[in-house]
Amino acid sequence: MDKILKEEKELKELRKKIFLTGYKGGMAHLASCYSSLEILYAFYIKKALRYDCSNPKWADRDRLILSKGHAGLALYAVMAKAGLLTEEEYDSYLQPGSRIGGEPCLRDSEWVEATTGSLGHGLSMAVGMAMALKADRSPAKVYAVLGDGECEEGTVWEAAMSAAAFQLDNLVAVLDCNRIQKMDFVEKTMGMANWNEKWASFGWDVAEVDGHDVQALENRFRMPNESGMPCLIIAHTVKGKGVSIMEDNPNWHFKLPGKKELKVFREELGISDAELA
Amino acid sequence: MQSAYIGKLMELAEKDRNVFHVLADSGTGYDEMFRRNFPEQIYNFGISEENMVAAAAGMATVGKVPFVFTAGAFLAYRSLEFIRDDICFQNLNVKVAGMGSGLAWSSLGPTHHTTEDVAVLRSIPNLMILSPATPKQTAECVEAAYVHQGPVYIRIGMNHEKEFYEENYRITVGKNEVLRDGGEITVFVTGSILEEADRAAEMLLEEGIRVNLVNVHTIKPFDGENAVRMAQKSRMMFSVEEHNISGGLGSLIAETLADNGIGVKLHRIGLKDVFAVGYGTHKGVRAANGLDAASIYSCIKEKLANEGI
Repeated sequence: MDKILKEEKELKELRKKIFLTGYKGGMAHLASCYSSLEILYAFYIKKALRYDCSNPKWADRDRLILSKGHAGLALYAVMAKAGLLTEEEYDSYLQPGSRIGGEPCLRDSEWVEATTGSLGHGLSMAVGMAMALKADRSPAKVYAVLGDGECEEGTVWEAAMSAAAFQLDNLVAVLDCNRIQKMDFVEKTMGMANWNEKWASFGWDVAEVDGHDVQALENRFRMPNESGMPCLIIAHTVKGKGVSIMEDNPNWHFKLPGKKELKVFREELGISDAELA
Repeated sequence: MQSAYIGKLMELAEKDRNVFHVLADSGTGYDEMFRRNFPEQIYNFGISEENMVAAAAGMATVGKVPFVFTAGAFLAYRSLEFIRDDICFQNLNVKVAGMGSGLAWSSLGPTHHTTEDVAVLRSIPNLMILSPATPKQTAECVEAAYVHQGPVYIRIGMNHEKEFYEENYRITVGKNEVLRDGGEITVFVTGSILEEADRAAEMLLEEGIRVNLVNVHTIKPFDGENAVRMAQKSRMMFSVEEHNISGGLGSLIAETLADNGIGVKLHRIGLKDVFAVGYGTHKGVRAANGLDAASIYSCIKEKLANEGI
């Protein structure tokens, strides 16, 4: 129980930190960050991702590509908590001379595995990494975190097809399935998603998990691949998770709170006057 | 050029098992031979060029040296954002080989023509652009691309192009090659259309008009010094390219002249901001678009007469 309380506290702290950084920077995809947070926490803090803190270029490390790059601030916050980014680097977000920006970028941190931002690139890059690691007989796994809205990009399906054709059992795609894209719900925009059936029909081994249950995510990420095929984990998430007015609300894709809304953020995330200054 | 490409790639693959031959269902004709020799170094992504390009970037992050190969049009246009974001912005060691350059896919029409690739790709940072004219030069460009650490685009033609170089020819990346000299008129040319430009130069010479002929195999980094030197001794300059005159070799030379305050007149021979017309043989489509030796010859003669040269 203590462990769960500790995690909950840490996750709330991270949400607060992401908010404060984004708010002070003047721009952030807060809702997307909050949707992906537990997924990234399970990888970096619970270490479902195998990496060596002292050697970012360890050849056999697992790779994580945040294909939905707009949740980059969440990735950087989690990396900072894991000690992969200094607090100074993290705090520089969008400030003059900043070291990090709104999307993960290879040149900004040696811990970023791929530059993303334009959707529909990450899974293809992950496919190439998985192929190269297989050729090297490396035990490393490659994880790509995708958005469900992102799956409207055609290249996602080119990548899905090739990953199955090449039987990349070292590749795991995590679908941050928050059901909302920039302008509206995914279902209203492009019809019924049926992700499980779609990916399974492409030959992927598909699993579903509560995307805010750290333990369930961690367990699933650590599960060995027995299918011999690439695996898709559908993580059911809530966009904007953690702040009531933002949750499950399409208006919040790329928005910071106004005066009234700020009050709710402050109450629910426990932000003091001093912290906001 | 394609057989020269794959021949050199096999040489490299034998030396270095990190060299990968990466395809999108459009090969060189010798890919099964490559597969027999290096089964773990060849991957066909099927008809998905963007996925192939991005995956190649992923491979390069693990230390592989992927040479992606397909029709230039499907790389430069269809996969442009993937070349830009995944290969060039990340500055990864991927080689992009676009074949069927210019009008080489003559009978398939402009969807298959690669006549704006230089313009598009020249504007992307970190990308070296090589544009060989002959099979021998293609092999040299493949070697040079392998030696260069970073993104390279190689613009190659089809097969059986006329050879201008000796067996022991070696390329110097970033240096223009002056193939004909001693005149007051300079013609710059890039790619396999060198054959037509050379014949045009020969026709002019037969009439006593000596032109300098400069082959530009490296579009980027461009040998501006050579261009300036040639301009300083020229009364008029021409560029010949199987490409739109906007943004290609001609534009590159015009930029160089302007940057250096050189006022010599330049006439750009190429597609005049149009899609090519006609179908049939490569030679025939070149002629239909004013890009065969006879058309180049007539154009140069006419422009010189207009200028009173």
